[in-house]
Amino acid sequence: MAEEGRPQGGPREGGGAKDSGPRRGGRRQYFRKKKVCRFCSDRVDFIDYKKPELLMPFVQERGKILPRRMTGTCSRHQRWLTVAIKHARNIALMTFGAGH
Amino acid sequence: MEQPTIIEERLYDLIFICQPATPEEEIDKLIAILEHTAVERGGKVEKAEKWGAKRLAYRVHRHREGYYVLLTLRGTHSDMVHELERRLKVSDLVIKFQTVRLDEEMKRQKKLAQRRERKAARRPRRTPPPPAATPPAAPPAHSGGEPVAAAS
Repeated sequence: MAEEGRPQGGPREGGGAKDSGPRRGGRRQYFRKKKVCRFCSDRVDFIDYKKPELLMPFVQERGKILPRRMTGTCSRHQRWLTVAIKHARNIALMTFGAGH
Repeated sequence: MEQPTIIEERLYDLIFICQPATPEEEIDKLIAILEHTAVERGGKVEKAEKWGAKRLAYRVHRHREGYYVLLTLRGTHSDMVHELERRLKVSDLVIKFQTVRLDEEMKRQKKLAQRRERKAARRPRRTPPPPAATPPAAPPAHSGGEPVAAAS
């Protein structure tokens, strides 16, 4: 069902909504800011593996590559980013993970 | 010996890490040898950058620091990179190296930039009609009382 995907009834505790007329049930319960690909907004055509400081926001503290659902990166840039991070790891600019 | 095949010109990044205690002269000497090798094999070193001693992200051959050197190469012979890597491998100073081919990335980058330029050039011509023909349509406020599913 389509309704299953939507969280219902959770954060509607304000109560004092002044909307006269119909209630707006089911919609507009909370907003999630739409994530935008940072590389697209900066119009990046090439992700340089020699600048690990630019790649750092896209890995976890321990060095794992973050999934794009967390960072909002588009699929094309995520693909380039993954390759860049792997090159950087290979030449010891970034870590493979803790414990090395 | 096998004859090297001539290929279209390619661009490479060759990064290598030397032991941190290596004197500068030794590194300069090594760079000169590599340059010579590249020229011998029909290529050339476009840029040689010494990044200096940097902390490594993980230990390599028990070193926590390394002296980074970046060479940007252009070559048309298939065996140039092979020979350069062989030399780096036998050198005692070098603890790690990596070659990355860049020309395809650059080609793609150029293509994307061109496409963007073309789009930008086309855009002004398209924009004039819409402002004239778009009255700001206010969304009609619904007042019809439909019971909405909030029965849970």
